Amino acid sequence: MNSLLRKLSWLLRRNRKEQDLEAELQFHLDEEAEERRQEGLPEADARLAARRDLGNIAIVQENTREVWGWILLEQLSQDLRYALRTMRANPLFTVLAILSVGLGIGASTSVYSFVDAVLLRSLPVEHPESLVVIDWKMKIPEKGGSDTVMNGMDGNTYHDPDIGWTGGIFPYPAFEVLRKIDSAFSSVFAFHPAGNLNVSIDARAEIAEGVYVSGDYFRGLGVGSAAGRMLTRDDDEPAVARVAVLSYGLSERRFGDPARAVGQPIVINNVPFTVVGVAARDFSGVDPARAPQVYLPLHAEVLLAGNNMDVSARMYLEQNYYWLQMMARLNPGISHAQAQATAGVPFRQWVETTAHTDLERSNLPELFLNDGSGGTDAMRRQYAKPLYFLLLLVILILAIACANIANLLLARAATRRREIALRVTVGAGRLRILRQLLTESVMLATIGGALGVVFAFWGIRFLTVLLDNGRTAAPPSAELNLNVLAVATALSVLTGLVFGMAPAVLASRSNVIPALKQLRFANPPTWIRVGTRDLLVISQITMSLFMLVAAGLFVRTLSKLQSIDIGFNRENLLLFQVNARQSGHTGVEMATFYEDLRQRITEISGIRNASLSNRAFFTAGFSLPITVAGKRVDTMLLFVGPDFFSTLQIPMAAGREIESSDRPGSPMTAVVSEMFARQFLAAEDPIGRQIELKDAQQVRQMQIVGVAKDARYGGLKRNLRPVVYVPYNQGAFAFIDQMTYEVRTDGDPLGYVKTIRDIVHQMDAGLPVANIITQSGQIDRTISQEIMFGRLSTTIAFVGLSIACVGLYGAIAYNVARRTSEIGIRMALGARRGRVMMMVLRKVIVCTVAAFALGLPLCLLASRQMESFLFGITPRDPLTVAIAVAILLISAALSAFVPARRAARIDPVLALRHE
Amino acid sequence: MNRVDLLQGTLDLLILRTLLTGPAHGHAIAKHIQRTSEELLQVETGSLYPALHRLEAKGWVKASWELSDKGKRARYYRLTPAGKKQLSDERAKWNAMSRAIGLVLDPTEQS
Repeated sequence: MNSLLRKLSWLLRRNRKEQDLEAELQFHLDEEAEERRQEGLPEADARLAARRDLGNIAIVQENTREVWGWILLEQLSQDLRYALRTMRANPLFTVLAILSVGLGIGASTSVYSFVDAVLLRSLPVEHPESLVVIDWKMKIPEKGGSDTVMNGMDGNTYHDPDIGWTGGIFPYPAFEVLRKIDSAFSSVFAFHPAGNLNVSIDARAEIAEGVYVSGDYFRGLGVGSAAGRMLTRDDDEPAVARVAVLSYGLSERRFGDPARAVGQPIVINNVPFTVVGVAARDFSGVDPARAPQVYLPLHAEVLLAGNNMDVSARMYLEQNYYWLQMMARLNPGISHAQAQATAGVPFRQWVETTAHTDLERSNLPELFLNDGSGGTDAMRRQYAKPLYFLLLLVILILAIACANIANLLLARAATRRREIALRVTVGAGRLRILRQLLTESVMLATIGGALGVVFAFWGIRFLTVLLDNGRTAAPPSAELNLNVLAVATALSVLTGLVFGMAPAVLASRSNVIPALKQLRFANPPTWIRVGTRDLLVISQITMSLFMLVAAGLFVRTLSKLQSIDIGFNRENLLLFQVNARQSGHTGVEMATFYEDLRQRITEISGIRNASLSNRAFFTAGFSLPITVAGKRVDTMLLFVGPDFFSTLQIPMAAGREIESSDRPGSPMTAVVSEMFARQFLAAEDPIGRQIELKDAQQVRQMQIVGVAKDARYGGLKRNLRPVVYVPYNQGAFAFIDQMTYEVRTDGDPLGYVKTIRDIVHQMDAGLPVANIITQSGQIDRTISQEIMFGRLSTTIAFVGLSIACVGLYGAIAYNVARRTSEIGIRMALGARRGRVMMMVLRKVIVCTVAAFALGLPLCLLASRQMESFLFGITPRDPLTVAIAVAILLISAALSAFVPARRAARIDPVLALRHE
Repeated sequence: MNRVDLLQGTLDLLILRTLLTGPAHGHAIAKHIQRTSEELLQVETGSLYPALHRLEAKGWVKASWELSDKGKRARYYRLTPAGKKQLSDERAKWNAMSRAIGLVLDPTEQS
């Protein structure tokens, strides 16, 4: 160890050391000469004798230096300098190589950052690995759901091809059954998203996302507090549930400091609460797609619903209403499988008691546990496939870049065979040569990797924007962390080794004698023979084909989506939401408030008209039971305000639209869509017909006063469905809480935001305005994933294609250059130019055809995985495949044509003299 | 004058032993070995300096620039405590070795 340190310190002072050695040897010479002089030799002879005695000074110095122990380093720096020189000698090659490696590494690193952030990261809690998410699974139910025990749901369920129908929501009684199973679980806790809450602190209201949690939530997760205490079981009782825990961010923003938030009163949806604590800084709930700012006891949900006994009964007693999400912590030493078996039995016994018919008993939900270390899987379900697909695409880019550089290095290694053979003959070790060649490629890759990190920074920012589709409260975000940097570094070194190893081995293996003798054309003809480099070219073309087909499918999907007629005017339409119920309005007063607000907005100059609806039209998916002549019909529903159709500019096919005269107390009216009229009222004139809306709160007879043209209710990807439009302010108000206002403006809609905010504030200072967006912005958000795939895959495909073309061009140009003299001889013997060109092109054609033969079946196989991303086309869309093939053929032909023409123009005389 | 080639590895031992009497520069070390071996051992300069630097790298000797008795700047080597220990180890090994070889070569002298 000591000696290593000493050597290192010597290394730092190596110049000094060199001088020392020289002086030392000089002193030795002087002493020796002095001695000889004393023996009687003349001055000159004495010096000479001393010199002879010492021997070859250079060798003495070299041997001594070797003792200093930095030979390896010295050689490395030689290699590096040599590599730099070669790189500078071929700037085009170097720039292309570094750029393509940089792009490949940058792209894969940035996509990997998101994979890491969204799919691989654990919750910031104690021992996340012992957490499980409790789910159920069952056969996909029959249409209408007559064979399910669920007769009401609030939450996400999924159709999963592997396991059928699955979800993570349960009735409250199931939670009570499961939390008694203490042999498997150390704790079972439940939660339910509260959505947007109106949180008022010091009389200043804002919208904050909330979550209702059972008493064991924080203890079960093992989340500590930043201030105060966390919620406990004692808080989760109807009488005492007026306590809240805030997120660190909210407490810091509104109170300046978490500690100051504890004990403060806050008003949530017009109900007073007390802050008892602030959650740990890095904790943001168990659903990675959400970032709740307020945690309330489960039983506070009833308080916020106005202590409504119906709501309370539905939530806590109803056995067939599925709404509550659950997670659990396993007891130490209990495996997933054991816990699932233990908990599955009591759950099945319980669920059997909730089934009412044999049909329901034939398809009972079955309990199963999922890994909970990363929280619930909503985010993973949404992003896993797109992210892995992107990762695949960018890794293909990296592969193409590697193949390219391997190909170019192989070509260069072949030209350098004589040089290397010469170096072997004069005594260079094979290992030394191997090391030098590897140094070059690893250096290229390392510089490329450094560039890749820069690209990754940009890529992460770019992807953050692309992945934010506005549908989740907390869109995925990622940063360049150590994990990711390690992957980037590993990728670049691996890349260097992979594409450097082949040429290096090949070159150092070369037999010295034939290589030395070899002049320029001693190799057997290789135009047809398939070698390593041809395989590389073939694999590049195959990968390019795959990327082109993928890009084509996405672009076609996007253009199909964008060409859909939405049935209303998306331009100059502003949307925003307010929730008057949360700030204390109820009943008819609330309806009047909403109408007054609409009136005031219409009075703003520059606003043509305004309306409101209980959902935004384009993202709606709402329905209540509607009957026509006593028969239940399958239709969508929307509660709307006056002027709804003229504001959205949905034309009326017959009758009138809903107007200000349709108000509380006036005769009940409705407007139906053309499709509704066609499907359910086919025989007669729809105007004047009666339809009935029936639910727990009301039975509502309505007269149809108009028929509206069909428009895209609920988005682009859904089929057109029948719709009934009902005045929001007639009848019961159970479903009227948050309303979306639609405002038709002159010019840029976002220019009116401030005025509108001011008006809302004047009317009710405790009512925040939420989700302001233009209609076209909202439409783009719903297809953001398609837009993202379209743009990204096209970019990736063309980057890949250009890298592959450069590689193809390079390989062929090199081949032509190497065979200049052979071609010269052929031409001197009478070969025509066309023939020479064909000779060169034949190879490209063979490679391309081979790539198509290999790639097309692979493509068709892989594209089936993309089916869920596509819209309006099949994964085997022939037009897409044809275009991809055409683009590839043209690019391959172009990249081969230039060197082929150069070959055809070779002057035989010059070519032979060249030798 | 007959000369004996140095056995591999013995040069280090001789250098260390020479330095036991006090610090010396390379030339003096070479001369001292020649003189005390009655000119039988000739130290090649080509191996002397690498050997000196190797011993320095191992920490058995220390080097410093000092003025020689003739007033010239010379690189003087001196034994470190680690070098002394190394010398005694090597010496013991060498004695054992030469005795063993002696026993094999002249079995009659056995006693």
